[in-house]
Amino acid sequence: MSFILNTGRTIRQGSYVERKNTPAYREEASTLYMHEVDMLDREIESGDHVRVESTQGAVVMRVLPAAWLSRGEVFVCLGPYANHLVGAETHCTGMPDFKDTPVNITPTDAPLVSVADLMEQCGGVRYEG
Amino acid sequence: MKVEDVVCPFCGCLCDDLVVEVEGTRVVSVENGCTLANEKFLGDNRLTSPIRRAGGAWQQVSYEEAIEETAAILLDADRPLLYGWSGTHGEAQSIGVHLGELLGALIDNTSTVCHGPSIMAIQEVGHPGCTLGQVKNRADVVVYWGTNPIDAHPRHMSRYTTFADGFFLTDAFLERKVIVVDVRKSESANIADEFVKIEPGGDYAVLAALRAIVRGKRSLIPSFVSGVSREQLFRVADTLLGAKFGAIFFGLGLTMSRGRYKNVRNAIELTAELNRHTKWTISPMRGHWNVYGSNEVFTWISGYPYAVDFARGIAFYNPGETTSVDVLRRGECDACLVVASDPGAHFPRACAEHLARIPTVQIDPHVNATTHLARLQIPVAVTGIDAEGTAYRMDGVPIRTRKLFTGRYPSDTDVLMKIYDRVKEEKGHG
Amino acid sequence: MAELLIRNAFVIDPLSGIRGEIKDIAIRDGKIVEDTGANAEVIDAQGCLTLPGGIDSHSHVCGTKVNFGRYMSPEDMRAGRTSRKGVMHVTSGYSVPTTFGNSYRYSTMGYTTVLEGAMAPLEARHTHEEFTATPHQDMLANTLFDGNWSVMEAVRDKDVKRAAAVVAWTLAAVKGFAIKLTNPGGTEAWGFGKDVHSIHDTVPHFGVTPAEIIDTMIRANEILNLPHSVHLHCNNLGVPGNYQTTLETIERVPDLHARRQTLYLTHAQFHSYGGSTWKDISSKSEDIARMVNARPQVAIDMGQVMFGRTTTMTADGPMEFKLYMLHQNKWSNHDVELETGSGIIPVFYSRKSLVNCVMWAIGLELALLTRDPWQCMLSTDNPNGAPFIKYPEIIALLMSRRFRDRESELLEPRTGHYVPLFAIDRELDWYEIAVMTRAAQAKALGITSIGKGHLSPGAEADIAIYPLKPQEIDPSAEYKQVMAGFGKTRYTIKRGRVVSRDGEVVVEGANSTIWTKARIPPELDLSSDPEFVKKFEQYYTVRMSNYPVQDVYLPRGVCIGTEASL
Repeated sequence: MSFILNTGRTIRQGSYVERKNTPAYREEASTLYMHEVDMLDREIESGDHVRVESTQGAVVMRVLPAAWLSRGEVFVCLGPYANHLVGAETHCTGMPDFKDTPVNITPTDAPLVSVADLMEQCGGVRYEG
Repeated sequence: MKVEDVVCPFCGCLCDDLVVEVEGTRVVSVENGCTLANEKFLGDNRLTSPIRRAGGAWQQVSYEEAIEETAAILLDADRPLLYGWSGTHGEAQSIGVHLGELLGALIDNTSTVCHGPSIMAIQEVGHPGCTLGQVKNRADVVVYWGTNPIDAHPRHMSRYTTFADGFFLTDAFLERKVIVVDVRKSESANIADEFVKIEPGGDYAVLAALRAIVRGKRSLIPSFVSGVSREQLFRVADTLLGAKFGAIFFGLGLTMSRGRYKNVRNAIELTAELNRHTKWTISPMRGHWNVYGSNEVFTWISGYPYAVDFARGIAFYNPGETTSVDVLRRGECDACLVVASDPGAHFPRACAEHLARIPTVQIDPHVNATTHLARLQIPVAVTGIDAEGTAYRMDGVPIRTRKLFTGRYPSDTDVLMKIYDRVKEEKGHG
Repeated sequence: MAELLIRNAFVIDPLSGIRGEIKDIAIRDGKIVEDTGANAEVIDAQGCLTLPGGIDSHSHVCGTKVNFGRYMSPEDMRAGRTSRKGVMHVTSGYSVPTTFGNSYRYSTMGYTTVLEGAMAPLEARHTHEEFTATPHQDMLANTLFDGNWSVMEAVRDKDVKRAAAVVAWTLAAVKGFAIKLTNPGGTEAWGFGKDVHSIHDTVPHFGVTPAEIIDTMIRANEILNLPHSVHLHCNNLGVPGNYQTTLETIERVPDLHARRQTLYLTHAQFHSYGGSTWKDISSKSEDIARMVNARPQVAIDMGQVMFGRTTTMTADGPMEFKLYMLHQNKWSNHDVELETGSGIIPVFYSRKSLVNCVMWAIGLELALLTRDPWQCMLSTDNPNGAPFIKYPEIIALLMSRRFRDRESELLEPRTGHYVPLFAIDRELDWYEIAVMTRAAQAKALGITSIGKGHLSPGAEADIAIYPLKPQEIDPSAEYKQVMAGFGKTRYTIKRGRVVSRDGEVVVEGANSTIWTKARIPPELDLSSDPEFVKKFEQYYTVRMSNYPVQDVYLPRGVCIGTEASL
């Protein structure tokens, strides 16, 4: 695995948190921040889609550059996209590795999926009422 | 109609100085609130009626049917999980705990994926803290460690710390020093007097180094500790020791990263150590507006702040075993009642998958990720907007949220009380 | 009309002058009456000891720091737990039980009224929420004013009327019962990590002394005509040599009230230490008791320490930090803006520790050396000296010299050199125990007029019937039976209804919360005082309109209204 996935709150995530089925929330929750040099290395442009994969699964995200990260780290706000990658092991603390998940990142042309899509992948049935 | 001194039901700051204008059953403007507050009060995205999943489709059902079915699901379950609670008022949380003891259920709140490890640390070494007004009136040094208030608690700095004038500091911005410690240069780090950048997973070591320095063991410190230079560590330690009143606020950067509760324990022990020299306090930056209330209510009824298992009749608590993520990961529970939170979005995928496998019922005003996993959702009033009740601020100060108008939705208390009464009818006193 | 007749009761009702006689007690609609009709339900007490319901005048059972004691102590929670059974909820905890745990245990011991010893006004709502979940006792809250900025400013300005106005506004706002001063001035000093070390030290920034705060608050209390006196936790708690501070404090107390004390000194044991360090700590109970005997204007409670594990919790933040430095176990602290502080640490009182043995002896000595039992009430400062479930053992110790002698053999061998206990022959009788566990409390708290602590017609029918027959049992010899008997009533009756029987709680319960409201002239009403309002909005982090405890938190509030002499 080549990157460590860190998650946390962002003000936009918080703003849309009660509207998780809107494009605005999807955009924020599926945005992956990466150090610019890492982007150069991988030939990823700002706004490109990438396939992010962990031992738990894979999900498509959109990349934005971030000067505030160290190389080798990527940041996604907390939410269903990041959690598609985070394992449920808690090391007997109740707390999963929300800030410490190794992931591989590869460019892709695949589209972003919606929160409902992700939940259907988990076995749910979308509600669009 | 303008309502003054409105309490904001978003984050643990529980700001109570908002001015909200209401027209009929709609909020039309918010003054004094942050972006998060504005979105919360002005948001108009309610689920309009209870819904039930029948096979691959959803249908509307009445409240009576939804409540009856919820009670039936819970009564039928061998190992029900009652999860969430941080986004509702204390009176509803209290019914939840009593429902848990009646059912022999496992009840847990969102601390489990937030400050649960902080609670574990406090249970090891205690918690030297204070109310936020102590910080506002006295603190000349403030440390934010592994937390980014500008995004997560937008008015924390203006109400309680960096920009808040107080009795002993009449020009806080000039007189108060702010240190931010994080693995990334967050928005909050940008306005700090000193930013300490730590390598991911290095918090424990940096805290240990600071403790060593405070104990007078400077010679033990190597030139770098988890990416932080010795010079910076010395400088920070001198600032800590030079404070008249210091306050550490910490976030999920400690609780979720490698070390978990041991990181928090180390931070608390640093605080205790500093108290041998001067006054220091430490406080977790609680996320949900009433997550601390759920800890309080759970504790006075059951004895434990979260992860309480009533399966054996008595209250049993063992984080790592009785915590929601672990119970779901093990595929142990066979029904789940979610109240006022969204585990579909905030639990790891494997947990969401289990929630989809079992009958999951959600009581929540909004459609969220968990909606798609549930069999049934019952919409309720939003506490602080069209329902009222007690909330506990991140520092333990209890404040009563206001009901701004009477809308068409029942409150969490109304719905839970009906479920409780149904379950009690079936179970009797036995 | 619900009627109940208790027959053949061996009644001791000190406030009514009944010192032990076989009587019937008639009850109608929750009150004591002269007689009942033919259809009354009858309980045959069979000559068993029957007392007014127990009253604890100083206990920590509800509120922010109590709950934090639970929160931080899973080891204590799992040391005492019961399942849901009948009407009883799940309970957890040994020294800091859950609210229902406290309520059931008190109820099975015959206690029907409990005063929470320390409520920070800013966090009063929390205390009231827990009161509601303590269903078998009527509750009252001591309200903390020790570090109250507005009070200290009034003291500095020598403006006792202003101090009274602050108290009146605050008690009404937070639905508190009485004035509590915990280490006055010390909790404010602790805001910057300091303390005060005598009643004449100056509180930093405020320029007042603890003595001035105490003097002013005593006068303010009597101006407001509050039912209870000022309730004081003296400065220097737990410090060797602190008996001087305590004596100096008592000496200052004027005699301002005809029917009760003018100052209530709580957990006196913790304030009766001689010596200068932990190595030469000794008992000064004789000096303290002599002073109390000479001053009818003061009353004390014991603050008895009992051996074993417990949790200490107090608004006295600096004291808890000192204890933490001694024990090096876990430590919590919680300072409350503009008002007070608090701290919590777990402790273990050991028979092998000389200091702990001296503490144990002092509490008993105070009870045995205070001549008038109305001046010394039984308490452990629950859970600081011990959990309240130890009361029966304390009663047995006070009633039996033989039991004390037997205990002495188990103590650290040097104890006898530091304490006078083993030279005291006095054994308290049933009457004195009845005084020390309910009647004196009712009198000291000023709640006899609302029907508490006695069994005369019109009183609340709160009654405890113990499986003890005073005419047949010799407490001096049969102390084990005394202990068992006071541990579990045959019947506890609350407001005319049997609430527990033989250790089992039989109804869900519905308590009252008793609070006080003093009427003051409008010009002294602080809610319209621009200076007070401005400072409030400037320095508190809660808006003034969100501060008062709403009526909804007191589903069965009982307000004692007074008329201030202003």
